[in-house]
Amino acid sequence: MLFGMCLLEIYILKINVSVINTHGVQMPKHIVSGLKYLTAVELIRDGLSQKEVAEILEMDRSTVSHYLNGRNLSWNSIEVAEIITKFCPKDFLTLTYALLDNSEKTRIIVKTCSKKEFQAEIEESCIGCGLCADTCLMNAIVLDDLKAHIDSNWCNGCLMCRDVCPTNSIKIFGGK
Amino acid sequence: MELKVDQDLCLGCGNCVVACPVNASISPEVYGGHGPKTEDVIMMVENGVIKLFNESKCTKCGTCPLFCPTDAIYLE
Amino acid sequence: MVANTKEVKDKDICVLRISPEEKRELSFKDEQCIGCGICEKICPVEAIELGDIGAIERTGVDESKISVDEEKCVLCGMCSSACPVDALELKLDEKSIKDMEEYPKLIKTAEISDEECIFCKACETACPREAITIARVLPDRSKLVTGEIEIDKDTCINCGVCEEMCPADAIEMEHHEPTSSDPTVSSDISVNKDKCVYCLICKKACPVDAIKAVCRSCSYGEYDLKPEDSEIKGSSFIDEDACVNCGWCEEICPVDAAKVKKAFEGELDIDLEKCEACGACVDICPCNVLSFPESTKPGEIVEKLKKDETFCIYCGACENVCPVEAIGVKRTDVDFTPTKSKSWKKQLESLKT
Repeated sequence: MLFGMCLLEIYILKINVSVINTHGVQMPKHIVSGLKYLTAVELIRDGLSQKEVAEILEMDRSTVSHYLNGRNLSWNSIEVAEIITKFCPKDFLTLTYALLDNSEKTRIIVKTCSKKEFQAEIEESCIGCGLCADTCLMNAIVLDDLKAHIDSNWCNGCLMCRDVCPTNSIKIFGGK
Repeated sequence: MELKVDQDLCLGCGNCVVACPVNASISPEVYGGHGPKTEDVIMMVENGVIKLFNESKCTKCGTCPLFCPTDAIYLE
Repeated sequence: MVANTKEVKDKDICVLRISPEEKRELSFKDEQCIGCGICEKICPVEAIELGDIGAIERTGVDESKISVDEEKCVLCGMCSSACPVDALELKLDEKSIKDMEEYPKLIKTAEISDEECIFCKACETACPREAITIARVLPDRSKLVTGEIEIDKDTCINCGVCEEMCPADAIEMEHHEPTSSDPTVSSDISVNKDKCVYCLICKKACPVDAIKAVCRSCSYGEYDLKPEDSEIKGSSFIDEDACVNCGWCEEICPVDAAKVKKAFEGELDIDLEKCEACGACVDICPCNVLSFPESTKPGEIVEKLKKDETFCIYCGACENVCPVEAIGVKRTDVDFTPTKSKSWKKQLESLKT
C-alpha cells in the first residue's frame, strides 16, 4: 500500500511518466539503481574508495565502477531518484524503504543523500515505551534509563517518532 | 456489563429490592425490609414481578444476584 | 509499521509488540488480580479499564477483571511496575522488567525465616491468599520417652483389655475369628516399642498381671533425653504469585519469624452512615481486613462493618466496589526503588491520594 501511494505521488509530480509506462514492473529496480548511483557519487565525493562503496552498498566493485561512469543505468532513473531525494524526509525515507525492502541499505542511502541536519530533544515526560525506537527506520533511537535518545547523525527528520509518541515528548529541530 | 431481569423466572419475593445497597441509599426504608417509597430506585416489584426502573444507577456490585432464589436478576 | 497484537486465553491477556530490534510482551494473569485498579490509574495512555469487579468476584461472570485496549497500549510497563500483586508483567525480549535495574519496582516483601520458625502453621492457616506452605518433620516419639516393657505370654489370656486401653495404639494382637476348635480371639500379642510411651496403663489394667513395664524417663526426669531428638524440623514456602503482603503471617506468628514489608501506607475510612452492608467490600478485600461484626448477646446492635487496618495494603479494591461511596482509601506513601526517569517517578508518586 505504501509503495502504491508513493507511486501516485511520483505521478502527481509529473515525473517522466513514460518511464513508468515503458518499464512496467521493473520500475522499482531502476529507481533503486538511481538511488544507489546518487549514494555512490556522494560517498566517492566524501573520499571513499570504490571498494569501500561497493562494500557499503553490497554491490560488485565493477558495478560501482559502471555506475560511476554512467553505464548500465538510465538517466531517467537518476532523474527520478534525484526527485525522490528531494521529497519531504518522511516520504524519501518510507519510499526508499519500500523500494529496497532492506533496513540497512535504506539507512545508508537516506543518510548519504539527505543534505539536511536535524537535532532532537527528548522531554522529561518521556516514559521510555520504545515506540519511537521501534518506529524509526533509521535506527537512530535507543532507550537509556527509560528515556529515548536520538542520534542526530542518523536522524533524517522524518518525524515519524514524534507522531507516534504517546506523551508528545519528542521535539525535532533543524532541517537546514 | 448490564443488569438484566427475567420476569418469567421472578417469584416477586422482593429480595433483590431490599438487598440492593443503592436502593437502600435512595429509599432508606428498604434497608428494614419495606417496599421503596419512590420510583427513583433501581428495581421494584410491580404487579408481582420485578421491574427495572433505573438500571443506569446500578454499580454492578453483584449483591442482588446473591439473594435472588431463582436467578431472575443477573449481571451479564 | 509496528502494531500491537492481543491474545486472550481464558481470562488472561497478552499484548505484544514485535519489531526487528525488540519484542515487548505485556501479560495479565486474572487469577492474581485483586481488582485494585491501580493499573487503570497509572496507565499514561488510558489503555486499561477496570471491569465490574463486584459482579465478577461475587456472581462468577465469565469476564477478565481488567480490559486492555491494544490500540492504545504502548507497552511502557508502568502498570507492571505499579501492580501491587504482580498480576501484570512486561517482558522485553523475554526478560521481565522486574529484573531490570532501570525500571522502578514497588518495595514489598514477605519472608519467613526458617531459623526462627517453629513450624506451628499458624501463618499457613491465617493467610487469606493460601500463599504459605509449611512442611514439617516431627521428632521420633520413641526417642522422647524411654523404658522397658514385656508381656509374659504364658500368663497372658489374650483378653484384649490392654489393647483397648493403650492410648498410643502400641499393643498389637494377632486377631482371628474364633472357631469350634480354637474359641479364642487372638493367637499372639506384642508391643510396638516405637509407639509405646511407657505410661504403664496396660500394666495397671491387666487383669492377670502379665505385663511388666517401667518408665525410665519418669524416674530420671529428662536426664537421658537428647535435645536434638526433640527438635522439630521443617521449611516454609511463600508463593509470591499469591502473596499480597497483607501482614497476617507477621501478626499471627508467635516467634516473629515472619516479616512483611508493604508497598503502600495510608488510611482506610469507612462511612458507616452511608454503608448499606451489602458485603461487596468484604468479598473483594484480598486481605480479610473487612468483616461483618457478630452480636455477642441477644438484642445487641452491632456496627454494619468492621475493619482491621493492620492487614490493609491500601490497594483500593473495596473503594472501587462500594456501590454507595462509603469507603475511602487514602495512600499517603508509595515505596518504590529509585529511577532516573522523572516521568516514571511522577506517575508512581501520583498513586498517592
